[in-house]
Amino acid sequence: SLAKPPDEVFDIICKIGRGSYGSVYKALHKESGQVLAIKQVPVDTDLQEIIKEISIMQQCDSPYIVKYYGSYFKNTDLWIVMEYCGAGSVSDIMRLRNKTLTEDEIATLMLDTLHGLNYLHSRRKIHRDIKAGNILLNTVGHAKLADFGVAGQLTDTMAKRNTVIGTPYWMAPEVIQEIGYDCVADIWSLGITALEMAEGKPPYGDIHPMRAIFMIPTKPPPSFRNPDKWSTEFIDFVSKCLVKNPELRTTAEELMEHEFVKSAPSRTTLQKMIQEAREILEMQAGITTNGDDSEGEDELEGGGTMVRGDNNTMKSQGSSTNGTVGTLVESELGTMVINEDSEDDGTMKRHGTATAGKDEYRPSYLDHFEKNDKEKPAAKPTQQPQQVAPPSMSPKTATPPHHFQRSFIDGDFEFLRNLQYEELEARLADLDPEMEREIDELRARYQAKRQPILEAIDAKKNRQKFI
Amino acid sequence: YRPSRQPNVLVPANPYLNSAIPQWLHVYSRGAPEHDHKLKWDLFRLNELEHFDALLVRLNRQDIEDIVLKYEHFRSALVIEMERRRQEKEIEMLKQSVEN
Ligand SMILES: Nc1ncnc2c1ncn2[C@@H]1O[C@H](COP(=O)(O)OP(=O)(O)OP(=O)(O)O)[C@@H](O)[C@H]1O
Ligand SMILES: [Mg+2]
Repeated sequence: SLAKPPDEVFDIICKIGRGSYGSVYKALHKESGQVLAIKQVPVDTDLQEIIKEISIMQQCDSPYIVKYYGSYFKNTDLWIVMEYCGAGSVSDIMRLRNKTLTEDEIATLMLDTLHGLNYLHSRRKIHRDIKAGNILLNTVGHAKLADFGVAGQLTDTMAKRNTVIGTPYWMAPEVIQEIGYDCVADIWSLGITALEMAEGKPPYGDIHPMRAIFMIPTKPPPSFRNPDKWSTEFIDFVSKCLVKNPELRTTAEELMEHEFVKSAPSRTTLQKMIQEAREILEMQAGITTNGDDSEGEDELEGGGTMVRGDNNTMKSQGSSTNGTVGTLVESELGTMVINEDSEDDGTMKRHGTATAGKDEYRPSYLDHFEKNDKEKPAAKPTQQPQQVAPPSMSPKTATPPHHFQRSFIDGDFEFLRNLQYEELEARLADLDPEMEREIDELRARYQAKRQPILEAIDAKKNRQKFI
Repeated sequence: YRPSRQPNVLVPANPYLNSAIPQWLHVYSRGAPEHDHKLKWDLFRLNELEHFDALLVRLNRQDIEDIVLKYEHFRSALVIEMERRRQEKEIEMLKQSVEN
């Protein structure tokens, strides 16, 4: 049946979510009645090479890895057909409940994740995109790794083309540095993911991605903002993952013997959060169906099964490195922003500690980790990830593009002494958007410079095909 | 004891990470675009072209790094200056309360 057009093989039930490279749908396999997930990624044709890699993925058969069934081309879209995980991703669940996870929940999730990693690593495969958003749960609380292989390859290829590095927060230092890496790069990401589950976002999550890229390799490994909240086993587990030298980092196999996960409670621990997330979702879905007329499109159907509104799972990943962003005011340079709050409940903070108490701009890349109230169902679902940035900052005064900082930025900062305090604040607030603009201009220049070379490469490759 | 993993890393280092960047490519990367069409790229071989492209990507990254660092310095100068003002203010207020 793989030869048939995919829309004859599957019925699309509803949209589950959107990632940086495409959308994910819940679908029905007509012949068997099985419920599946289909990721649709727009690709340009020469990416078809990647399809060769797919057979490797298809060989993966583990309860800890999202089963991959096959892929299709439909016009310019690649359809990746995979196992459906009814409870969504761990980051979906955190976002829905607006809550970070407890240590017990994290330990249970980490154990399943380690099983998945151990499975891949023993076959010398690297996942490359471990994060809470790629750990999916089925309705009984089994955690499974998603987005291994094809999706990762796609992300990679696309990222390379635009010379944009993907979201850096989970990346191991050696990956950022391009000095070569192997399976333990995933272990670093696992440590970051544990922190993400505990604190709601990865370390450096509230600073500009471009700044994060340069901090991860140069700063000491991150750790908990508030170590007193966590057991010594958990802290030790994370510190074993976050060893900067990959040769000294521990492996998945070794970590499975770690006290933190060995004493992890059973999966029933996860029932409560899965149930809660589902209830919130159903409630939101209800609001959307009643309160909104046409916008819902294809997303809301489904009795009993979990339904997800497009707007709840939307990401702004794609926009984070090329959209205009608001500004972040920070009290500290370079070092990780320390969470000086005292509240001890697991409530996720809407605004990072970086907000110094005043009305701040909200950087669009924060939408990765936090969902704005504006984006809740009552609001119009935004269709394109690129469109996330402008609405999220429009209520505030958007800083107009100007280059007044650039000329001052080199060298002598004496002039700062003569500025009003408010002016200093304004300059600080404008720093990130201004930097982003400068980087965008640079990127455009390099893209133009690479263009003729890439064209020549393509032409030569095409010629070779005929020889 | 843990054997070194580096010799058989699954993903090798960027082969162009430390290779020298030809001067002309430097110039090209910064030059005004009006002259770009003069370069006849199709005269190069495929592997040379791929090499140049990789070097341009590297230059791009280095330039981004320079930008980030530049802003980082400015940011710290701003933060230090603002902190200095706050302390000045505090001392001022302290003085006043002592006088009163
Ligand atoms: N197999 C699946 N079963 C159920 N839900 C899924 C499945 N795959 C993805 N999803 C949902 O779809 C959403 C989008 O997934 P997608 O992989 O496109 O983006 P992402 O993981 O959020 O980010 P990225 O693009 O970086 O991978 C996820 O948030 C997840 O909730
Ligand atoms: Mg994903």
